[in-house]
Amino acid sequence: MIIDPITIALITLGGALIGLGVHFIPVGGAPAAMAQATGVGTGTVQLAAGAGLTGLISAGYMYNFLATSGSFTTSDLILVLASGAVGAMIMITVTMFIGQLVYVYCVGVPPVSAKVDKDPITGDIQDIYVSQGTEGHGVPTVSFVSGTIGGLFGGVGGSLVYVQLMEIGNTPADPAVVALAGIFATGVFYVNAVLASYNIGGTIEGFHDPKFKRVPKAIISCLIASLICAIIAVPIMGGVS
Amino acid sequence: MIDPITGLGLVALMGALATIAGAAEDLESDVGSQSNPNSQVQLAAQMDFPHRIFNKAISGEPPAYGLWCAAGATVASVLLAQNMSVIFAIAIGSFVGAILLGLYSVTAHMGRTTSQKRFKQPIYMDMVIGHLPPIMGHGYIAVFCIVSFSYIMDHMLGHPFPLPLLAFLWGITAGAIGSSTGDVHYGAEREFQNQPFGSGLNAAQSGNIVRKAESGLRNGMDNVWACAKFGGPVTGLALGFTVFFDNWRSTVFSGMNAVIAGLIIVLILILANRLVEVQARKAYGPYKDEEGGTEA
Repeated sequence: MIIDPITIALITLGGALIGLGVHFIPVGGAPAAMAQATGVGTGTVQLAAGAGLTGLISAGYMYNFLATSGSFTTSDLILVLASGAVGAMIMITVTMFIGQLVYVYCVGVPPVSAKVDKDPITGDIQDIYVSQGTEGHGVPTVSFVSGTIGGLFGGVGGSLVYVQLMEIGNTPADPAVVALAGIFATGVFYVNAVLASYNIGGTIEGFHDPKFKRVPKAIISCLIASLICAIIAVPIMGGVS
Repeated sequence: MIDPITGLGLVALMGALATIAGAAEDLESDVGSQSNPNSQVQLAAQMDFPHRIFNKAISGEPPAYGLWCAAGATVASVLLAQNMSVIFAIAIGSFVGAILLGLYSVTAHMGRTTSQKRFKQPIYMDMVIGHLPPIMGHGYIAVFCIVSFSYIMDHMLGHPFPLPLLAFLWGITAGAIGSSTGDVHYGAEREFQNQPFGSGLNAAQSGNIVRKAESGLRNGMDNVWACAKFGGPVTGLALGFTVFFDNWRSTVFSGMNAVIAGLIIVLILILANRLVEVQARKAYGPYKDEEGGTEA
């Protein structure tokens, strides 16, 4: 019984990328929904999954286009991963931008980070813009850029898992295989997003947040969890020879 | 492969459907009170503020909408396989999704409220009966539109994912967007109109939600009336933009050009966000002066 180790390794890598990406996404959880914390007002898993799965839809479309029109090469793989990344980045930037409009024009608060005195990207002073009794509000530039990077990693990770699962059977036009690979990729995404969110513990502003230093722990956990997922998924997709 | 003009028309139609879906999704979560702002509705009774606001947080909005949409799309797929007309199949599928939403709404509301008996939070049966049709109605519109644009993507634009999976994924995205954008209007503004405007919510005021309406006691209907003026439409815009931009770039361009077009859209949004940030900081000013004292 032989299972392709490269496929297993790449699915595991995809899972770790998802876990890493979640840490970049600025989420304030329930407090942010009350303009009580910096970031988007929803949960870590929710937003990461929303973005990553939008990327998966884009990647699935691109993979189908490339794989059914001839042999699937490494440059094709890069194109599919890029397509997934851009799909996720579009979703997350649109969401953060519209969320920002609600914070600014509806709630009437300026975007500000409570974790740094100056925005590392723009250099804007932050602390004096934090309203009393809150831990920041809105999505400042540094968090916005961080979220975009998170979308990139999440999109690449999800797409990598999907492509590897699809490549096992080498039947890109079979709807049953597409459905199985799609739902497995979604599952691997959720496993890693939930693991990462335990590490984050509710809220994170982005890569400038002190909580971001916990990333190595999450990567190790995600690697282990994704490895188990891969070992289960590959034989089910028909990857045992 | 369809011709580009027809493709663009379909992408525009998908964007329009997504806009309606996003707005309906957010308004459903306002009238029924779901997602993060519901933590305050839940907390209010515990802080000795009994209220008449519907309290259902079945789950996070993304998994909830993933479930309604997947259920609706599965029923629609079965009916389509039996050669039923597309509109009827999607309409019946969405109806099943809306019934599921209604069932979960009642059990979630009653379960949550009965668990608060010790805080003297009553269950108002008139409220349960009165709120259920708008919850299911908004849910129906959202599910119908999401399944419809998933159908266009699946059957007309040639997406490889089966309809139920596509509707499931778009349902998760719609829930994530609704939870991230429009709900902030409900949570940070509408629930706390008794607090000074433009300062966010002081953590000390958690649970002190507005319980009196323009007339009588406030309920979910009053909340959705207000949120329909800003939170709902912008949520629709967010989902509409996501669906439109993502599909527009892959319809107009192909290969690496589609990726570059997407990156340009992302870059424009980063710059637009910066402009809004600068304008907000200038318009509202700091809460404290440079030395740390509080400004008037």
